[in-house]
Amino acid sequence: MTKTALVAGTALAALVMFAAPSMAQEDTSDKRIALSNNYAGNSWRQAMLTSWARVTEPAVADGVVAAADAFTTAENQVTEQAAQIQNLILQGYDAIVLNAASPEGLNGAVKEACDAGVIVVSFDGIVTEPCAWRIAVDFYQMGYDEVVYLAEKLPEGGNLLEIRGLAGVFVDDEISRGIHDAVADYPQFTIVGSVHGDWAQDVAQQAVAGILPSLPDIVAVVTQGGDGYGAAQAFAATDREMPIIIMGNRHDELTWWAEQKAANGYETMSVSIAPGVSTLAFWVAQQILAGQDVPKDLVVPFLRIDQDNLEESLANTEPGGVANVEYTLEDAQAVIAAGRQ
Amino acid sequence: MSVRAIVAKPWVWSYVAAFAVWLATIAFTGGQGAGGVLTAALTFGTFFALVAIGQMFVITLGPGNVDLSIPATMTLAGTIAMKAMAESDAMIPVGLGLALLTGLCVGILNFGLILLLRIPPIIATLSSSFIVQSTAIWWNRGLRIKPPPALGDFATTNVMGVPVLAVLVIIIAAVMHVVLARTVFGRSVTAIGQNQRAAWLAGVKVERIRFLTYVLCALFSSLCGFLLASFSGGAALNMGQEYLLTSIAVVVIGGTSVAGGFGNVPGLWGASLFLFLLVTMLNTYGLGAGPRLILTGAIIILVIVAASYRRQRE
Repeated sequence: MTKTALVAGTALAALVMFAAPSMAQEDTSDKRIALSNNYAGNSWRQAMLTSWARVTEPAVADGVVAAADAFTTAENQVTEQAAQIQNLILQGYDAIVLNAASPEGLNGAVKEACDAGVIVVSFDGIVTEPCAWRIAVDFYQMGYDEVVYLAEKLPEGGNLLEIRGLAGVFVDDEISRGIHDAVADYPQFTIVGSVHGDWAQDVAQQAVAGILPSLPDIVAVVTQGGDGYGAAQAFAATDREMPIIIMGNRHDELTWWAEQKAANGYETMSVSIAPGVSTLAFWVAQQILAGQDVPKDLVVPFLRIDQDNLEESLANTEPGGVANVEYTLEDAQAVIAAGRQ
Repeated sequence: MSVRAIVAKPWVWSYVAAFAVWLATIAFTGGQGAGGVLTAALTFGTFFALVAIGQMFVITLGPGNVDLSIPATMTLAGTIAMKAMAESDAMIPVGLGLALLTGLCVGILNFGLILLLRIPPIIATLSSSFIVQSTAIWWNRGLRIKPPPALGDFATTNVMGVPVLAVLVIIIAAVMHVVLARTVFGRSVTAIGQNQRAAWLAGVKVERIRFLTYVLCALFSSLCGFLLASFSGGAALNMGQEYLLTSIAVVVIGGTSVAGGFGNVPGLWGASLFLFLLVTMLNTYGLGAGPRLILTGAIIILVIVAASYRRQRE
């Protein structure tokens, strides 16, 4: 999260590379890593690309790897990204770090890469092809934890409004499944309405404003990130009391929360995946290239913000971006070690 | 005008559909929220109707004419305006001016590609939308800057449940109705859509009218981006996303011929309200995403068939 951590991580990387042959790290200074990214049109993806550049540029400068180039497709389409992966194979990259447009659609291209001896590490948007590595997020747990938090805050329970993401995307199904299972375990809560906000503030605002007039009192809104500010705007336009809206670490959401906290002591929590997960994938790819034994399935930790670390997190969040952590080689090794168990 | 003459208008069906969907919604809730739902529909229908006016003029130009750069134009105009105003009330005219200037430039770019490079409009506006969207990303990387307080208040004000913005856009729609039906420009657009060659032989300056139409559409998109950013507390990179298909759907459901040559403005408002109320109704019924999308598609087909069936019988 901090620059010092970053510097320390890079220093550590250099240390591990050059001073610790006992860990059997092979030299990766001539290896080239590419980032294949399917979409860049929202603040999360922008932060993801910025983090990638901020971590990989020093790594390249220090000779940890020879190159770490980022490529983004224009149209978020499977065919386009498959063609991009084929180009990256032809260009002779040693590893491809992949945020995929589809879990299955790219399997053919990924298999081609593996057959050509290219390491493929997928993250966030993961692929199911067995030859690739997966850095997955436990979205189910994220949804479940939202309700657990609410159960602590509102022991007497009440009515919930659920804002879902983009219909048909696996992330949306997983988070929602977590929320619904948790509501089954905490029966003092009832989900009285569910709308799709497509992880966009404007869409969420519109959907919530539409359903709100027909709903009873709402004590809390469970969300998926990127929709909390829109929900708050929709509630603010009515004479209803502001419910607890779970936030998703976006700068506009945290700013609004901090304003409300200062004005009336508003309390909530915020949880999402740090866009810097791209840097975790980078270090994992580097470790695989260095000859380390890395399990195929790894899990990313969440980034959660609570009442007491709100201001600090907000200050560290780039305006317009998402609360972020950039991962170090050390973090990657910890995640790999956890994955081995 | 007799009842029959009214029923024969293709745009009547969008209002019938909107009213039916509203009734179905409040029947389900037992009357609760009847007014609130209408206010919300007017609020968000405003933005749909605004972009649809421009799209309707473009589509009426005839086969192949469509503007796919609406979402990108909205995003860029909103982004540039919010950044220029920097939350200062005094800068509101500057912000509005810059937003409209953005629209003007995109309109000129679109038609430049279509005329000078002879690219079909669907490809020209699609490629210009990449340029425009990338410019928006480059300009401030998704930073959400709030609108000036006075502008934000204006955009969210309701008088007796009627949003001020909706009144503004109803007036704009009324003016554009007169423009389409009574002015040389409007009649020329319709004439070009019915038969471009005949229009040219009759002395219509075809390329000039097409140029003005694409600029008009981009201007409405940029105005919509400006107002939407003011309404929703700032511009975001994905703010225009759903307005592309919505703008086309509103035009078609509103009774405008998708083949061109027969446009109408009143139907745009009916269709905008209908689309919003339809989603609200299905949300209120608590259906899952699958059935919800299938029903949305089925109901839209039904309304379009009803509207075009009346037209064919005439």
